[in-house]
Amino acid sequence: MTDAAIAARGLEKRFGPVAALRGIDLDVPVATTLAVLGPNGAGKSTLLRLVAGLARPSAGTLRVGNPSDDRRRTRGRVGYLAHASFLYPALTARENLIFAARLYGVLDPRRRAAELLEAQGLAAVADRPAGGFSRGMAQRLAIARGLVHDPSIVLLDEPYTGLDRAAAHALTGRLRELRAAGRTLVLVTHELSRACELADRAIVLARGRIVHAAEGPGLALDTLERAYLASVESAA
Amino acid sequence: MNVLLAVLWKDLVSEWRTRDRIVSMLLFSILVVVVFHFALPADASQLLQTGAAGLLWVAYLFASVLGLNRAFALELENEALSGLALAPADRGWIFLGKAAANALLLFLVQAVTALAFALAFDVGLGAVALRFAVVMALGALGLSSVGTLFAAVAVRTRYREVMLPLLLLPVMIPILLGAVRASAALLEHGTLPSAELRLLVVADVAFLIVSFVLFEYVLDE
Amino acid sequence: MQAGVLDRAAANLRTPSLWALLALSGLYAVAVLTAPEDAVQGVIQKILYVHPACAFAAYLGFGLTALGGALYLWRDDEQYDRLALASAEVGVVFCTLVILTGPIWARGTWGRWWSWDPRLTVTLLLWFVYLAYLLLRSFTEGSTRAARFAAVYGIAGVLAIPLNYFAIDLFGGRAIHPENLGRGSLGAGMGFPFALGMVTVLLAFFHLLARRLELEGLRAHDAFAEPALRSGPARAEGSWPT
Repeated sequence: MTDAAIAARGLEKRFGPVAALRGIDLDVPVATTLAVLGPNGAGKSTLLRLVAGLARPSAGTLRVGNPSDDRRRTRGRVGYLAHASFLYPALTARENLIFAARLYGVLDPRRRAAELLEAQGLAAVADRPAGGFSRGMAQRLAIARGLVHDPSIVLLDEPYTGLDRAAAHALTGRLRELRAAGRTLVLVTHELSRACELADRAIVLARGRIVHAAEGPGLALDTLERAYLASVESAA
Repeated sequence: MNVLLAVLWKDLVSEWRTRDRIVSMLLFSILVVVVFHFALPADASQLLQTGAAGLLWVAYLFASVLGLNRAFALELENEALSGLALAPADRGWIFLGKAAANALLLFLVQAVTALAFALAFDVGLGAVALRFAVVMALGALGLSSVGTLFAAVAVRTRYREVMLPLLLLPVMIPILLGAVRASAALLEHGTLPSAELRLLVVADVAFLIVSFVLFEYVLDE
Repeated sequence: MQAGVLDRAAANLRTPSLWALLALSGLYAVAVLTAPEDAVQGVIQKILYVHPACAFAAYLGFGLTALGGALYLWRDDEQYDRLALASAEVGVVFCTLVILTGPIWARGTWGRWWSWDPRLTVTLLLWFVYLAYLLLRSFTEGSTRAARFAAVYGIAGVLAIPLNYFAIDLFGGRAIHPENLGRGSLGAGMGFPFALGMVTVLLAFFHLLARRLELEGLRAHDAFAEPALRSGPARAEGSWPT
């Protein structure tokens, strides 16, 4: 357990009487990619929020990152890309990134912002207010913001939403780069094909529980698809 | 410290671009002054001389509530507040940055409104302008510190706009009292009473420290 | 869910405190009725046996609310939040009693219903703070968030009380509210009912507090009722929540 980037035992999250997550046991080794699949309402986003530190577990244990780090340091090591973009519409793309960089204590925020803008193909619109961005552009900017502090653990909640072919392709490339650089990734996605493409391991959540786990040959698309449908059906 | 400046800069730049809060706060506070003209009896000159400070501060109070509400409404767009909560920064600095931005905006509104008030009702401000500004600043600081804390709370409840004044007003009384009495003394005899000043400073410091510490808990879940 | 030390205390003291309260109330009623009428104020003076005690309970109540909130933030143990909530709900009742009995007595003695005397004003402000606290709790979605927000407001509010008093006392209204009564300032035969009143009211406060705590504790327990959901220790641990 000590060498896993993320480790959960008996993790539970309740909202009043409703249990969004129950009995989650999970190990995500460092530098691996985990795909989290499941139907809507299964608890995928809740799991990610817990790992990101935005919510506290109702029961069980959850360790993220280095056990000797305190909460603040751990926050500095995690990058979280949610459905919401965390962007300020009145600020330009560049300013949004500079602000995020300063928030995370990144050295030389201007240079970092320029780098990221370039990498995400946003250099042309760098000085336009983020409020005017199209869905795809905003998503790309949000991705840049999430990575501004070069986190060792990256959490992505359905990052492909709103991206066109080219942008999706670029994102996949980016994720591959992060993998190659030894980052730990947790990817929540609807599309099984993404999981097969990018992940080392996949879990399927349904009604708050892990109903299937797959890796290696289990991550071939048709195998995964069959297992997914079967496990989700039986949980319903 | 860096974070404080970053947040302050972000708030001021956003505000400069949209001029959202400053315009509505200014308009509102001047409107209140105009309403006073109609609400008071025709021969109100005596009342105005003695009550000017109080009237002004009522206007300031309402304007600040308006501004504080909007300050956090902005943070709710795109869940930017969660973005702040995720940062490894000490949240006390985030608080100070926002409180400072709010205080600066409020001070600006206070100054313009005071000017408008003085012109409209022929109340002499010139001689005491500087000391009046000090009192306004101390009041703005106090209002903004605990106001920012409560606004962060209120904006995530069900009746957000209504919640803030309910939370803020009973707690604001020491600052209001100190500021009104100090301002009134300035307008009436041109002296700045030390007791009121002390009260303002003590209240400001107490509220600032408490809000700084408590803000940590407000950004959580 | 493990019963906290407060929950257990509340449960254990239930019956003895109820008996004590009934007995005391009976004694108290007799004492009040048989106490001599004040020469100047008449029968209305008997409110004195209720009013200051209620005021004490009201302030104590908010103190406990703030304390509960602070402990909750520090320790992350829900029983402290239950204490804060229970104390606020019981305290606001006593605060309302103060605000109601005060004017009744005032009308009888000073001839007016209200005055902006410091003590009255601060208690009125306390009442508003109580109400704001309770409104905040009911308007916040999510029990953890509500507990957290309420704790923050409780602490800020309790700071405001002495500041309010200091401010209003220095500058505020004319002080016509009687100062704290020293020994011997009560007429003959009034000391006993007064003291008895204090004890009874305080006992009533703690009894109600304990009942409310118990009720809230049961409610919390229900939320965790399904045995199938429980997996291992009920307390959250791990590097994130600490």
